Amino acid sequence: MTPSGLARARALYEGRDERARELKADGRKVVGYLCYFAPPEIMEAAGLVPYRIRGDVREPVTEADRYVEPYGCPFVRNTFDQAVKGRYDFLDGVVMSHACDSVQRMYGIWTSYRPPAFRHMVNVPHTVTPATERFFRRELELFKERVEAFAGRAIDDAALEETIALYNRVRALVWDLYALRQSDPPLISGTEMLEVLIAGSGIPAAEFETLLTEVKAEVTARAPRSGPRRARLLFYGCINDDVSLVRLVEECAADVVMDDTCIGARGQLGAVTDGDDPFGGFVRYYFTGFQCPRTYRGTGRERFDYLVESARRFRAEGVVLYILSFCDPHKLDLVDVRRRLDDAGLPSLVLEDDYTLANVESMRTRIQAFVEMIG
Amino acid sequence: MSQLRAARKSLETVRRSKELLRSFYARDARRREGGPLAWCMAGVSSEILHAFDVPWEFPENFGTLCAAKQVAGQFCEQAEAEGFSQDLCSYLRNSIGYVSRLVELGHVPPEAPRDGMAAPTMLLGSGSICDPRIKWFQAIASRYLPVPVFHTDPMSLPHDVDPHDPRIEAHYKELLRDTLSEQIAFLERHTGRPLDVERLRDAMANAQEALALLWEIQELRRAVPCPMGAEDYFMGGVIPLLYLLGERDAVEYLRQLRDEVRDRVARGIGVVPDERFRLLWMGIPPWYNLGFFNAVGALGAVFVIETVYFSGAPVEIDLADPVAALVERSWKRAVWIHEWGAEVVPENCSLSGFSAPGMRLLRRWVQDYRLDGVVMHRTRSCRAVSWGQVHVKNQLAEEGIPSLIIESDMADPRSWADAVIMGQVRGFLGGIESARGTAPAC
Ligand code: SF4
Ligand code: SF4
Repeated sequence: MTPSGLARARALYEGRDERARELKADGRKVVGYLCYFAPPEIMEAAGLVPYRIRGDVREPVTEADRYVEPYGCPFVRNTFDQAVKGRYDFLDGVVMSHACDSVQRMYGIWTSYRPPAFRHMVNVPHTVTPATERFFRRELELFKERVEAFAGRAIDDAALEETIALYNRVRALVWDLYALRQSDPPLISGTEMLEVLIAGSGIPAAEFETLLTEVKAEVTARAPRSGPRRARLLFYGCINDDVSLVRLVEECAADVVMDDTCIGARGQLGAVTDGDDPFGGFVRYYFTGFQCPRTYRGTGRERFDYLVESARRFRAEGVVLYILSFCDPHKLDLVDVRRRLDDAGLPSLVLEDDYTLANVESMRTRIQAFVEMIG
Repeated sequence: MSQLRAARKSLETVRRSKELLRSFYARDARRREGGPLAWCMAGVSSEILHAFDVPWEFPENFGTLCAAKQVAGQFCEQAEAEGFSQDLCSYLRNSIGYVSRLVELGHVPPEAPRDGMAAPTMLLGSGSICDPRIKWFQAIASRYLPVPVFHTDPMSLPHDVDPHDPRIEAHYKELLRDTLSEQIAFLERHTGRPLDVERLRDAMANAQEALALLWEIQELRRAVPCPMGAEDYFMGGVIPLLYLLGERDAVEYLRQLRDEVRDRVARGIGVVPDERFRLLWMGIPPWYNLGFFNAVGALGAVFVIETVYFSGAPVEIDLADPVAALVERSWKRAVWIHEWGAEVVPENCSLSGFSAPGMRLLRRWVQDYRLDGVVMHRTRSCRAVSWGQVHVKNQLAEEGIPSLIIESDMADPRSWADAVIMGQVRGFLGGIESARGTAPAC
């Protein structure tokens, strides 16, 4: 029997790209993408299968060094290493966006050494002004045209509207699951939640919707966990496409009740609005309001108010700040994030990793001390 | 030899730059008590600032000065102690450490080189070239100096987009125009006066002359023996390009420099007495140790061209509307660079006067500059400029051009391992020599 709910999410998570490979075998075109600045809705509305490219923290980087320098985003290097080793051979296309220097440069290197049938880079300005919003909108319109040409069919307004509505339903369901973490103890763990989100990032949105509906039914029917009270934490930081770290935190007598990461709350909550102006909706959702540190958002520390509010709403007592080595955008925000959290009386713990989880044991010790300190 | 030391310049004009580039060296005199002072990122048009009569500093290049004066290490340490990761750009850490001292003391720290940088009244950032630059002023203004910030934000074409598609051109140029208008509006608000169009036109005309002279100088360096090396370019070419583009001073200075270089070519005078290796320098130099270039020179090698602070071929613009001319210059230069292969260059569409050359141009330089090899400086704290060197190395290897990657940092002297690096350079030159079938050189 095909598993459903959390078991299916687990299978999809462990199986990584199996479902995408099946769809490819059925004749669908699968397009890998890095970062949400290239809205998956646009690809899906053209009948493509958007597949979020993941790295593999367990797989040491062995091949990428022949093409790209060692100092730079370890996540991006890891994804390229996987590409060189053939892990993404099932992809018909690769779409990246100018999220940061590492991705921008990787696009050039990836497409030089492993040119896919379809490739595209969505350019993303670094600041939010009326001029850059107009530019980003035009970028998305150009992206739509490229996608249409590759898919061999036009994206009509109705298809786009329908896809946006589907994605919004998916995000609403994700929110329903997040909301089940507001209670103490939470009904769904941070590890389970992330597993579901990662599973959903490699399958068509309609399948994800079914999965989320099943998970919601399953989790809502649970009895609250018994046992001693555990510390409630918010998990913030760089790309998190593996459950190991959240699981590690949860093994240390804490619950991850909320996050601000990608994959996570960034890009998987909220809604693309403005039905009659979908591109305006995309600009607002994926650019203006998208909380990725790669974008300059003014100098006030109040730019992190959303994080404090989110922590309060989910009754988080502390914040884990997960940072990858060489990630300039996150490292440059780190000082201000910590100051804002301090002002709000929220203790924080920085966990730095090079996308290998090589220091798990020392991290465990530090997380345990942090959890004890929160008491 | 080598250790950490300033370079011995070869050219008289560069040696006299202190008296010739007065407006740069007399920076203190440019600031007016109570008047506006901007701190800028590379990528900001100095011509615009000139037109607004706003003096400016480049914290980024202040990093090079601090490095050359051996004080960058202590400023970097201060920034690290305040939570800024050692991974982050050393120019950035240097300026954070500096600013922290400036705020703590209430005046320019005495250890700062060349009168330091006075406290700014505004911060003018830029989205060109790298990520740290877009977050740097955010860090300074949010924590140390709460002054207004504005970033120009032009975007660069991905390597596989056709710049000659009229829609693409319109798309990118519209952003250039818009971001520049937003910056002009910001400056009008903060200086209380409108843009002086005449002044901008003058500055643009001066910049055109300066850029043409720089290009001519770079072309003259093709001569054998090479009349000018990296040790001279990194002061003599970079200061006018970065700080003085738009000023008359820079034009006169570069004309003199061009004349001297031309004269050397005519008389067959080279940088090193016995030129045996002609090298390309790729990457940011170790500013705290420009003497490295002399040390390599002592082995008979000269760096005949560099990939950074690369001004490229001059482009034609119509100065009738100088704001439109600035947009046009930025776009045409970006297209020029793009056409030489942009798969691994940093963002190349910039309102200032320089960028980085693409792979196809490097290939052409192998012939034009008669290169024997390439030395790449992998600067650990600057991914933006270092990323792509391995790709270039692969491409060069296909054509049998040897290259060497040395590793340290641009401004943080703690990363320089002299014995290791000089050993690598000797081995590299020895390899080139033995491939020629002559006796090892060193
Ligand atoms: S983790 Fe940082 S460096 Fe890596 S892709 Fe994301 S923003 Fe870029
Ligand atoms: S290009 Fe490199 S050295 Fe220059 S500011 Fe950016 S990170 Fe620093």
